[in-house]
Amino acid sequence: MNSSNSSLTKCIIWFYDGNIRTFYSFDKSHAKAKPNKALGIRRLTKMINQTFKGKYETAIIYGNLGNGVEIAKYKHGVRVL
Amino acid sequence: MNPNHIAPTPKMHLDFGTVFKNTKQYIDQYNKKQPKLTDRLNANHRATAELIIRLYAKQINKSAIEISIAERLPGLKTYNPSLASCKGCTVRTIINHKQRLLQSGFLIEDIHRGADGVELKINPVVLNKLKISTQVDDKTQQITPLASFFKGRVKNLHPLVHVQQEHLNNNSPVDKLITPQQPEKKEKEVFVSSATGTPQEHDKNKEESAIFTPKDQTKVNGVERAFLLQLVRQFWGYSKKSLYPSQVFTEAENTEILNHIWRSVFQRFKLEGNKKQWENYQEMLLKRMDMVARWLKRNPKHWIPAPHLYFNENNIKNGFDKTWSWYVKQEHQKKEIRNQLLIQAVDHEWKQHKKGQGKHKFKTRFELYRLQCKRLSKYKDKQLLNAYEQCLHRNLFTL
Repeated sequence: MNSSNSSLTKCIIWFYDGNIRTFYSFDKSHAKAKPNKALGIRRLTKMINQTFKGKYETAIIYGNLGNGVEIAKYKHGVRVL
Repeated sequence: MNPNHIAPTPKMHLDFGTVFKNTKQYIDQYNKKQPKLTDRLNANHRATAELIIRLYAKQINKSAIEISIAERLPGLKTYNPSLASCKGCTVRTIINHKQRLLQSGFLIEDIHRGADGVELKINPVVLNKLKISTQVDDKTQQITPLASFFKGRVKNLHPLVHVQQEHLNNNSPVDKLITPQQPEKKEKEVFVSSATGTPQEHDKNKEESAIFTPKDQTKVNGVERAFLLQLVRQFWGYSKKSLYPSQVFTEAENTEILNHIWRSVFQRFKLEGNKKQWENYQEMLLKRMDMVARWLKRNPKHWIPAPHLYFNENNIKNGFDKTWSWYVKQEHQKKEIRNQLLIQAVDHEWKQHKKGQGKHKFKTRFELYRLQCKRLSKYKDKQLLNAYEQCLHRNLFTL
């Protein structure tokens, strides 16, 4: 199943070089585990703060299913929401 | 009398009791004649024989054969697999048992009819006492002798033939053939169910209802759940401020952490205690939290893991549970200091008394001793009393 349909949250990152990319959260601790939203958010946060540290202008984590509520927002490496 | 009324022709009826009794007698007699144990019919053979006779009696009673042809009764028409499934064994076992029963003479003939199954002819000796019934469906005639035997209380006998029946209502006098001898009651006391029309005797329902009544979901061990959940939230709010002041948590993360705290710190509310005790427990937890905050401030190298790990019940290495030993140690030290201060005060009083100074200068030594004993025994601390004894030795028995 495509992660864009199954994941609970997603992250859109606007990079300094002009790229915009969307990442979908991986919410399970193991293959048959119950999806854990907090785990998915933590993993996305880790990606923003470590993998793309100093490379992005804005990064926003949204809820993937439903209305896509804004969960967290980072600007130049600082959390603003 | 109506001339057109045709008298019911008498039908064949096999009495289960008689037939079973005959079966038992027949097999017992046969076994007595056999000198070898292996030749005898064992309990399994007996069970098969009883199964066959039970099905046969049921078949005969249902078929309503006229009494005139009773001498040439048909055999039990059945199938080997159906007998096997009835008894819960294999077909081969049924075939073996039939052979043994044929040897013993319980069965006279085993006729194979191909697709129509088998016909088992049973020894007429077993069926010797036949009863004549005019109405096959008239159950009352079968029950009446039983009812009279038990004198007003019919035992719920296990049915000999498995027939789908309604669930028996032992409280109802319906079909019991007994006239309930009830004392005269006022009309108001008798409740009649509108659905069934059965009179209900609420005064006889003295035992507790068997209906499952769920526990009060709003309370945990007598304390309101809402209060306890409030404690959990308060704890997390306090720890967020003192331990993770710069971090922002999403709603999902907050929920997860609250669950962890409920599991590990509050032990799923399984601890027994009243509201006051829970409040004291909360106070102790907050003290522990303060200790952690002080420990973090003391050295920049000190750190604690993220809250979902710090409050995780499986975190034995560096979880919040570790602070329990800190707390115990701290409380122990506090007690020791308190004891030292108390003993110092006592020491001072004795010295002043010796010099004839202080507020106790007019009291005797015994009176002062009693006063101090009373004061120190309030703390209910053995160590304190031991220290007091040493203090007395120092002050009273030294020159």
